[in-house]
Amino acid sequence: MKRATYLDNAATTPVRPEVLEAMLPYLGKEAFGNPSSAHRFGRAARAGVEEAKRAVAEAVGAEPNQVVFTSGGTEADNLAIIGAALAARDRGGPFRVVVSATEHKAGLAAAHAVKHLGGEEVILPVTASGRVDSAAFEHALAGGVAVASVMWVNNEVGTIQPVRELADRCSAAGVLFHSDAVQAFGKVPVSLRDVTCALLSISGHKIGAPKGIGALIVRDRKAVEAIIHGGGQQFGIRPGTENVPGIVALGIAARLAAAEQAELAARLRELRNELERRLLAIVPDAVINGWQEARAPHITNVSIPGTDSEALLMHLDLAGVACSSGSACSTGTVEPSHVLTAMGVPRELGVAALRFSFGKDSTLEDVETVTAVLPKVVEKVRSLSAVLHR
Amino acid sequence: MMSDGLTVGRPDGRKGRVLVAMSGGVDSSVAAALLVEQGYDVIGATMKLFCYGDSVPDRPCCSLDSITDAKLVAHKLGIPHYVLHLEDRFGHDVIDNFVAEYARGRTPIPCVRCNSFTKFRDFLYHADALECDAIATGHYAIARDGALYRGRDRQKDQSYFLWGIDQAVVRRMLTPVGELTKAETRAAARQLGLVTAEKAESVEICFVPNDDYVSVLEQHLPPDAPALTPGPLVTTTGEVIGEHEGFARYTIGQRRRLPGGFGEPLYVVAIRPERCEVVVGRGSELFGHDVSLEEVNWLVEPLAPGDIVWVQCRYRARAVPGTIAAQAGDRVALRLAEPVRAIAPGQSGVLYDASDRLLGGGVIT
Repeated sequence: MKRATYLDNAATTPVRPEVLEAMLPYLGKEAFGNPSSAHRFGRAARAGVEEAKRAVAEAVGAEPNQVVFTSGGTEADNLAIIGAALAARDRGGPFRVVVSATEHKAGLAAAHAVKHLGGEEVILPVTASGRVDSAAFEHALAGGVAVASVMWVNNEVGTIQPVRELADRCSAAGVLFHSDAVQAFGKVPVSLRDVTCALLSISGHKIGAPKGIGALIVRDRKAVEAIIHGGGQQFGIRPGTENVPGIVALGIAARLAAAEQAELAARLRELRNELERRLLAIVPDAVINGWQEARAPHITNVSIPGTDSEALLMHLDLAGVACSSGSACSTGTVEPSHVLTAMGVPRELGVAALRFSFGKDSTLEDVETVTAVLPKVVEKVRSLSAVLHR
Repeated sequence: MMSDGLTVGRPDGRKGRVLVAMSGGVDSSVAAALLVEQGYDVIGATMKLFCYGDSVPDRPCCSLDSITDAKLVAHKLGIPHYVLHLEDRFGHDVIDNFVAEYARGRTPIPCVRCNSFTKFRDFLYHADALECDAIATGHYAIARDGALYRGRDRQKDQSYFLWGIDQAVVRRMLTPVGELTKAETRAAARQLGLVTAEKAESVEICFVPNDDYVSVLEQHLPPDAPALTPGPLVTTTGEVIGEHEGFARYTIGQRRRLPGGFGEPLYVVAIRPERCEVVVGRGSELFGHDVSLEEVNWLVEPLAPGDIVWVQCRYRARAVPGTIAAQAGDRVALRLAEPVRAIAPGQSGVLYDASDRLLGGGVIT
C-alpha cells in the first residue's frame, strides 16, 4: 500500500514527536499530580502548567497570566463570546455580540446562544472573497456591542481578515475584539503586540498537540465571565482541574509553531500554489474560492464544476488522498457550507468544493499524488453527477 | 454453503470489487463480512435516503446510529465506508410516489420502488463510478447466474420486493445472506463480533416514524386533500352506513376503524377515490380470482397468455397458481386458480415459477 496523502491538516494534525515526548512525564508517575495540590506531586504538575503558560504567552505576544486553557477552540470561542456578553450585561453594558457570517460554527453558535440568553446577535456579511464587510462592521459597532468576533483566518477558504484594522476600530469604539486564530496561529504571524485583540482563541490539535486542549488569551480578566462553574482554577474564569499533559503539549507545540511559522508558511505556500497551478491545468474550469484576497498559506478551497464534494471525497479517499469538502449535510440535502454561501458562491459550485490543507509533514509528493489521481477522479465523478443530477 | 453463482470475478480470475449497501443492520453487516471472507475487494456504503429533520430534533441525521453502526462494522472488517447522499432522488422516486399512491386510493409498497429506483439503480451508478463489478445487499433472496430466487429462509424471503429491478442488474448482484436463515445470519454476526449482531429487526417503512404513515401523508398533502377528508362509508349495494376518516387511512381487507353491529364483521373491500368512498362488505366479498398488473417488469423473457405462473399478491402471502390471461404493453391480466383474499391496488403482484425463481411482477391496479 502506498503512503496515504493527508491534505486535511486544517481538520487536525498528528501529535508531533517532540510534543508527545514532553507530555509523557505528566501522564506517568513522575508528574501526574494535581497542580492545585500543595505537595511535591502538585508542584511538579504546577511547574509544567506555568511553563506552558509562559510558552503560549510568548508565542502569541501576550503575558502568562493572560492565558486561560480550555478544552479547545470551540470552548475558547464560547468563553470569549458568551463570557464577554455576560460580563457586559452584568455591568449594565450592551448585551449584544457581533460575529461575521463566515465564523467557525463555534463562534456563530456562541453568538446564537447569547441571543437565547436574551441578548442580541448581529451577523456581518462578507465580500465575495470572504472579508468582513467594513461598512457593516462600522455600523454594528455604533449600536453598542459587548464583543465583536472575527476570525483571523477562515478555516474553509483561508481568507485572512484585516484583524489589525478591526481591532483598532473596536478599541476606538470601546468594544472588545475577539479573534479565533485557530487556523492562523503557526501559519501567519499572530501577535497581540501587533494586533490589539482583547481575546484570542487558539487550539492545540491544529499545530501538533493532541485534541482536547486550547487556550483563550484574555487581556483583561474582568472582561469575561465564566461560562462553566467550579473551583477557583484559572482565576475562576475556567475552573476545573487543569489538563496538565494537554497544557504541557500546547506549550511545546505553540513554541514550535511560533518559531517555525515563517519558514513553514513559505514552504506551504509553495506547495499550495503548486497544487493550485496543476489543478487548474487539469481542470481549467475549476474555481479557487477566496482567491481575490490574501489567504493563509496552507489552505486552498476549490470548486470543480459538475461534481459533488461527497463523491469527490469518496473517490479521492479510495485513491489514497484525504481532504475535506466545502459542503455540509443539513436537514436531508447536501448544501454548500455556510462560509461559501456567505461569500455568494453559487450553489452548484458550493456543493462541488474541496478543501486541501497542508501541514508540516506535507511534501511535493503529496501534490503529485493529488494531481496524478485527480483527472480520473474528476472524470468519474462528473459522469456520476451527470447521471444522478440530471 | 455459498453456491458458485455468487462468484463475480474479473477476467483474470481475481475476485472483483463489490459495493455493499450497509444499512447498519445485521443482515447487510453479515453480507459485507461474508464477502470480505470470500476475498472480494469490498467497499461499504450507507445510503442516506431521507432526513427525519425536525421530527427527531435532538438527533442530527448525519450521526444517526445506523450510519455509525455501519461505519463500526466496516472498520472492524477493514474496508472503506462512505455515506451516499441520495435524499433528493429517494424523495422524488419513493416518498413522493408513496404519497401520490395513497392520494389516489392505493396502498403502495415503497420498498419495491426503493429497490427498483434507489438500491438497484442509483446505488449501481455509484458502483459503476467506483469501478465495482458487483453490488451486494443484505436481502433474503438469492441471485444466481443472472436469475433471482426466493431466499432460503421462507420467513424472511424478500424476493417479493425485488420484481422491479432491471434484469441486467441481476447478473451483477450478490446476495450473501440469501442462502442463510436469519438465525444463521445472527450467529455469523456474533461469531464475527459485529456490533450489529443483536440489533432488533426493522419492520417499519424506514422513512415513516412510529409506523404512522398518515403523519407522512399529512406532511406532504394539503390539509384539505380528499384522501385525508372524511367521506361516505358505503356497502357494496350502495347503502351509506356512516362516515370514514379519509380514505388514505384504509386498506383493502382492513377491519379496524369500521363500525360494528351488522351481524357479521365488515371489511374494506374497495376504495373509490374519485367519489371519496370507502366500500365495505362481508369477509367473503374480499376474495377474487382476477389480478390486473401495470408497470410490469420481467426478469425473464416476457411470458405470454396461457403461461402458468405462481402469483403472490402480498408480502408473506402464499403464492397461488394462475394463468396469464392477457398481456398488452406493460400490463398483464392474471386469472388465479383459487380465490385470493384482499387483492389491493398498489400492492405488488409477483410472479414465480415452480422452482421459486422470480419471473417478474407489477403493481396491482
